[in-house]
Amino acid sequence: MSRSILHITVHELCEHEGISEQQVVTIVEHGIARPLRGRSARDWEFDTATAGWMQKALRLRRDLELDWIATAMLIDLLQQRDQLRTENQRLRQQLQRFLMAD
Amino acid sequence: MEFKDYYKILGVEPDAEKADIKSAYRKLARKHHPDLNPEPEAEARFKEVAEAWEVLGNAERRAEFDELRRYGGAQPGGFQPPPDWQSRATTGEETHFRGDFSDFFESVFGGGFESAAGRSQTRGGLRGQDIEIEMPVFLEETIEDTRKPIQYELPVVEDGRRTTRRKSLKVTIPAGVAEGERIRLKGQGAPGLGDAPDGDLYLHIRLVPHPLYDVEGHDLLLTVPLAPWEAALGAKITVPTLDGKISLTVAPGSQSGRKLRIRGKGLHRKPGRGDLFAVLKVVMPEIANDNTHRLWQELSDEAAFDPRAAWEVNA
Repeated sequence: MSRSILHITVHELCEHEGISEQQVVTIVEHGIARPLRGRSARDWEFDTATAGWMQKALRLRRDLELDWIATAMLIDLLQQRDQLRTENQRLRQQLQRFLMAD
Repeated sequence: MEFKDYYKILGVEPDAEKADIKSAYRKLARKHHPDLNPEPEAEARFKEVAEAWEVLGNAERRAEFDELRRYGGAQPGGFQPPPDWQSRATTGEETHFRGDFSDFFESVFGGGFESAAGRSQTRGGLRGQDIEIEMPVFLEETIEDTRKPIQYELPVVEDGRRTTRRKSLKVTIPAGVAEGERIRLKGQGAPGLGDAPDGDLYLHIRLVPHPLYDVEGHDLLLTVPLAPWEAALGAKITVPTLDGKISLTVAPGSQSGRKLRIRGKGLHRKPGRGDLFAVLKVVMPEIANDNTHRLWQELSDEAAFDPRAAWEVNA
């Protein structure tokens, strides 16, 4: 039986993704992610949703040969797109409850 | 096995310059990258494109591939590398793509490559792959910790062959999970090779659309149908919430679209809970008989109400 957890330590993240702590610091410096807790980089913990975006950023940077600034912008736009999609879907559903088809 | 014509995959001529190959790869990689393109076939297409670039973007590997292509790319009955075939291409820093390679690639360039998908090398083996699956969750299940059975497939290697194994598990969905969150279950991903640890399982939370409630952050919206006379005279009505019924007072003269806040009946928030908003919607009854029709007529004469008074067309 394995426990459900919602965070990952910087050490685990580095090990799983094959990256260095310095690369994690770079990701944070570019505003792609913010640690959940931990005062210094070696104690950082991230929530798993944030870690998901960091993994996405690493993949996109590697596969599309982007620099960190472009990667940060891309992640920002993808997050905005996701938010707008969710909001749009919700507003449509709400509208549907008010409108009636003839 | 199937021969992969990497030139065809990238849509370039066999005598194309490296710059053209690179530009073709970049264009296709952007188009099919699974993090950018939600189509289900995007991932497979991207892998193919990345694999093609892995070979054609490296001069040594490209030369070897050209040799094999001449040797008989399209043999009947599938491709087999020449019996004494051994790739000389080194795995340089140019290898940036770490994905699953095709059997064709493995048979031709395998051996020198780290061929396991997204695995990190640790002493004594390869850590198992992380697995991510979608987890639909009903709003009702987010109010308290909920135990749910799940089933998923794990990629495993058996007798040197890649295959999958079904796995069943009971997981706890912690109270208050939200759309897009990822629940991590340590060591429930693909098994590691050698002494290396197993990968993790990630459950990507998707809130199932509810027939009654819409989600807005931690708040819920419920559309409440009202009879015209309930809106006019006020009413005490019973409203369903995620945890039981409650009674709601509608003030006299309530407009359609008005939002009434019911505190603490929304979704879990740390700490506390969001609110439930009841959105009023006045609905018309079917006119049942002459008597009700007469009453509406009387009301119309008596009220002398023009809802479109603000429009110039009525001036």
